Amino acid sequence: MSALLLQQDTAIPSRTATWARGILIAGICLSLLCSLPVPLRAQTEDRPAAVLAAKSDPLSLPDAPTPAASATSPDEPIVISRSLQPPAQSPPPSAGPSLGDLGLTPAETEGSAQRQALLDRRTHMLKVHQRLGLITVIPVAAACISAAGAPPEHGNYGNTTSRDVHVALGAAAVAMYGATAYYAIRAPKVSNEPARGGIKWHKYLIYIHAPGMVLTPILGAMAFNQINSGQKVHGIASAHGGVAAATAISYGAAIVAVSWPIHIKF
Amino acid sequence: MKRLPLLAILLLTLPVASVHAQSPDQAWNLDQSTLTYHMSHPMHEVDGTSRAARGKGVCHAGQCDFLVAAPVKSFDSGDSNRDLHMLQVTRGAQFPLIQVRFRLPQGSLASPTLDCDLEVEFAGNTAHYAHVQFHQTIEGNAHHIVGIVPATLTDFKIDPPSFLTIPIKNDIPVRVDLTWHPS
Repeated sequence: MSALLLQQDTAIPSRTATWARGILIAGICLSLLCSLPVPLRAQTEDRPAAVLAAKSDPLSLPDAPTPAASATSPDEPIVISRSLQPPAQSPPPSAGPSLGDLGLTPAETEGSAQRQALLDRRTHMLKVHQRLGLITVIPVAAACISAAGAPPEHGNYGNTTSRDVHVALGAAAVAMYGATAYYAIRAPKVSNEPARGGIKWHKYLIYIHAPGMVLTPILGAMAFNQINSGQKVHGIASAHGGVAAATAISYGAAIVAVSWPIHIKF
Repeated sequence: MKRLPLLAILLLTLPVASVHAQSPDQAWNLDQSTLTYHMSHPMHEVDGTSRAARGKGVCHAGQCDFLVAAPVKSFDSGDSNRDLHMLQVTRGAQFPLIQVRFRLPQGSLASPTLDCDLEVEFAGNTAHYAHVQFHQTIEGNAHHIVGIVPATLTDFKIDPPSFLTIPIKNDIPVRVDLTWHPS
């Protein structure tokens, strides 16, 4: 073929022949360059590890590709659900688009074990908070009920039993409340986004029941001292009952708020 | 001699043609998406929705491979505290994406019902769902696909969270609403 072309070249003017020869050589060179077995960028993007392995150890075969599940835990089997039937169609592809094709950055695709540990710790502490908070309902309710017997009856200031029971229950309620609050306060904060939903009201109600839990025992102690000294409860101490009631109601509302909306369905 | 420039042009265009032969026959892009999981508890019925899914499909030799991925943290149930708990129980910080892969024959892409075998990677585990039916409506270039993926917590080894010591139901069906466009 080349000889034929060269024979034809001798019959034409020299300038044209030079141009034609140049184009031909350029074409051959370009085609040879392009036909070299260099993988395209899209082909190399997803398999850098396999390429590196082949280059670093030419005497051994590269490892077989691992399934997607092995990225998480190589010991755990892949979960096959829905009747354990083999798919009728061809199995889902291992090739196809990659996460990079979706425009996702490594920061969006890579997980963080540290952040997961922080979430786990947060959930653990808030579970304790929830449990203690529900248990605290018992002494709070008991203190409210026992409040009925706390004031002296008909000027009988000598019998202090029911009043002492009320004081003990109130103290237990405050102590339990403190422990409950501790776990909420110490739980790590993982998001700076504003609260949405029932948790928002749960947090707003803190501004009522938290000061109430501080004020109630102080006012109760003042009232207790006034009664013990044979006086009628007077002054700011007379607000003990009202403050305690507001505190208990807001505390109950906080529990309902974090559980809202409730749809009973068994 | 007239054949010489022709031959040169042929040689020049040959590599270009070979590169084109490796590009996909057809590509699909996910334009709009709504993924909604449903969670049931005796005291709560919760729906969490994500509109942040991204997807792409490529067709080669009559087969189309699709990938849809959505960040776990993009699901919004209307309660930020619940969403953070969901992120924790699904190990969403460690495995931040839900990935769904499936393959369809190119010839079936226009049919009103799509029968898909899904490979779902979530919470560090992979589950396969065979013969999941999706209904398709086509308006112009837009292919609107709706269906439900019958996911469960045990498929992904997720410990069911509980409220008042009662765990949530194992079934967490995911309603899928996608709009694809060929590119």
